[in-house]
Amino acid sequence: MDPRTTLTLVGVSHRTAAVGVRERYVVNQEDLAACLSSLQQIDGVAEAFVLSTCNRTEVLVVGPRGVEVSTRLKAQLFRNLPNDHIYSYEDTAAVIHAFRVASGLDSMIVGESEILAQIKRSIDAAESAKALGSTLRALVQQALRVGKRVRTETEVGQGTLSVARVAIDVAQRAFGSLRDERALVIGAGETGVLTAKHLKERGIGALAFANRTLERARVVAAELGASAHGLDELKDLIRQADLVVACIEGQTSSIDATVFDKRAIARRDKPLLVIDLSMPRAVSVDVAKLGANVLVYDLDDLGRVVSENESGRKRAIETADAIVVAELHKFLSLRTYAAFSPAIAVLRERFEKTREDVLDAVAGARSDPRDVQLAHELARRLLDVALDQMKDSARHTSSEEVLDREYHRFLENQ
Amino acid sequence: MTQAIQALGVALPVLYALSALFHGVVFAGERSTKIDPLRRNVLNATIAIHFAYFAARAVEIEQFPANDLWTTVSFIAFSTALLYAVIARVTGHSGSGGVALGLVFVLQFLSSSFGSFTPVMRAAGMNPWAITHVSLSAVAAAALALSGVHGALYLLLLREMRRRRFGAWFDHLPDLDMLAKMMRRSALFGFIGLTIGLNVGIGLAHAEKVPGFNYTHPEVLMSLLLWLHFGVIAFSEKIRGFGARRASYAAAGGLVALLLSLLLVLWPNSFHSGL
Repeated sequence: MDPRTTLTLVGVSHRTAAVGVRERYVVNQEDLAACLSSLQQIDGVAEAFVLSTCNRTEVLVVGPRGVEVSTRLKAQLFRNLPNDHIYSYEDTAAVIHAFRVASGLDSMIVGESEILAQIKRSIDAAESAKALGSTLRALVQQALRVGKRVRTETEVGQGTLSVARVAIDVAQRAFGSLRDERALVIGAGETGVLTAKHLKERGIGALAFANRTLERARVVAAELGASAHGLDELKDLIRQADLVVACIEGQTSSIDATVFDKRAIARRDKPLLVIDLSMPRAVSVDVAKLGANVLVYDLDDLGRVVSENESGRKRAIETADAIVVAELHKFLSLRTYAAFSPAIAVLRERFEKTREDVLDAVAGARSDPRDVQLAHELARRLLDVALDQMKDSARHTSSEEVLDREYHRFLENQ
Repeated sequence: MTQAIQALGVALPVLYALSALFHGVVFAGERSTKIDPLRRNVLNATIAIHFAYFAARAVEIEQFPANDLWTTVSFIAFSTALLYAVIARVTGHSGSGGVALGLVFVLQFLSSSFGSFTPVMRAAGMNPWAITHVSLSAVAAAALALSGVHGALYLLLLREMRRRRFGAWFDHLPDLDMLAKMMRRSALFGFIGLTIGLNVGIGLAHAEKVPGFNYTHPEVLMSLLLWLHFGVIAFSEKIRGFGARRASYAAAGGLVALLLSLLLVLWPNSFHSGL
C-alpha cells in the first residue's frame, strides 16, 4: 500500500445490525451523490465510495496517513448508532473486507449475485460525483474482478443466488407447487422483476404487479405475462393473493395491517405468505399479528433460511477464500509498486538525461546513429533491471502466506 | 411354526424401531447415500416380514389371522406402515416417516408384548363378514391415524415457520400443502373404509346378537363420532372457514380420540372381547 495514505472503511451490515437498524441508515441511489459530496467535505477524505444495499451500508475513504477519519465518518453516516453495530477497518483489513463483499462471502446469502451490480452502480455514482481517485478506483475495480473470479471458479455462487430466489424457495416450502397459487409483487423495480421472473420459472398460477407508477407496472407485467395495478388496488389484490412479495424502494411501512382483511385471512385454507424484500422494510410489524394463518418474513429471516443450509458449501467457500487471498496479494503488490511511481518517473528522467549527456560528451554533434541506438538500448535495459528489482521488492512486501494468516485473523475477529 | 411366529413377533417391534430410527436420522440431517436407501429397504423388509408373520399365523390356524384383539392391533400397525410406505412412494416425501413409524412401533410393541404367539382358531376368523369388518376397520384406523399424524405435523411445521425457525422440521418435512393433502386424503380413505367397516360390523352385531351391543354403547358411540369427525376433515376443503390449519387441529385431536377408542375396544369389558 501507499505508505502516505490510509484506507478506511466504516459500515453497518447484517452481521452487526438487524434489518430494523440497518433500514435507518440506507442511502438510496438518488441520495448517493449528495452523500458522497458531504463525505468529501470531511477533513482528511480525499476519495470516497459508498455502498448501500439491503445487507449493508458502508463507506470506503482514502486520506492522508495520520489523519483519523473513522470517528467523523461514523458521526456523518451513522449518527446515534451505538458503536457495537458499526465496524471499522483500515488498510489491508479494509481491502480484505471489500473483496469479501464483492465475492458475496460477506453477504447474508453467501454467493448472491446482486452485489456485483450494486457495486457497479455505486462506482458509477462515485465517478459522477468525482469522488474516486487512483487508489479507490483501482480497489473497487479489482473488487469487481475478484467477485467475478470467485463466481466463475468456485461453486459459491452456483445457481445465481439472490434474496428473491430464497423468498421463492420459502414460498415453495409453504405451498409446494406454485401452479395453483396467486402471487402479488409490490414494486416493479429490479428486485420485483427478479422475484417475478423466479415465480414464472417455478410456474406460478397467476401473477400481479402493483406499483406506484402504473405505467412502469404495465411495462414489466407485459414482459412477464402478469396483470398490472396501481397501489390503490392493494387491498383487493392482497385479498386474492396467496403470496405477497414487497419489493418497494425507499419507503417505510407502506403496507400495514389495515390493507389486510383479517376475517378473510382466518377463513383461508392455506396460510397467506408475506415476504418483505424492501429496504427499508415496507411491511409493518402489525401484519404478523393478524393471526396464525399469516406468515411474514423480512430479509433477516431469509438470511436465516440460508445460513442453516450453508454447511454443505464449506469447501466452495474455502476455495473462494484462497482466491481472495491471492487477489489481495496481487492488489497490494501493485499498489506498493504504484507508490513507487514518482520515484520511477524521476529514475526514468535521470536515465534519459544521463544517456543524452554521455552521448554529447563522447560523440557530440557527429554521433553515429548506431552509437545512439546502442546508448538508447543500454539505458532501456539498465532501467528495466532497476524497475524489475523494484517490482520484486514490492511483491515481497507481504508474502501470500503472511496475507493468508492476516486474512484468517480477520475472519476470526469478525 | 409357533417358534417362527414367536421369532417374527419379537423381531417386528425391533425392526419398526430401526425403521423409525433410520427415518429419524435422515430427518435430523444425515442424508447420506448409504442411510437413505437403507431406511427404505429396512421398512420394505419389515413390511414383508410383517406380512409373513400374518401368513404364518393364518397357515397355523387355517383362517384369517386377525381374529383376536392384539393381533388386530398388529394388523393396524401393519396397515399404517404399508399405507405410509405407499404415501411416501407416491408423493416422494418421506419426512413424516419418523413420527408415523414411531406410532407403528408403539402399536406393534404393545401387540407383541400382550398378545399371544400361539394363534387359536375362533369362530370370528371363519365368518367372512367379521373378517371384512375387522380388516376394513383396521385399515381405516390406520388411515385415520396417518391423517392425525400429518395434521399434527402440519401444525408443527406451521408453528416453526411462524416462529421463523428454519431447522430440521422446515428442511425435511413435506411442504404445508402436501401435509394438508396427506391429512385430508388419509382421512377420506379412512372415512370410506370406516363407513363400510362400521356398517358391516353393525349388521354383524345384529345378526350374531352380540351381547352388550347397542347404539349408546361407548365403543359404538365413539366409533360413530370418529367416523363423523374424520368425515368432516375429509371434506374440510369444501367447508368455508374450515381451512387446513383448523382441519389439522381436528385431525390431531382425532388421532387422540382414535387411540382412546382403541383402548375402549381393548378394554376387558368390551363387547369386542367376544371376538
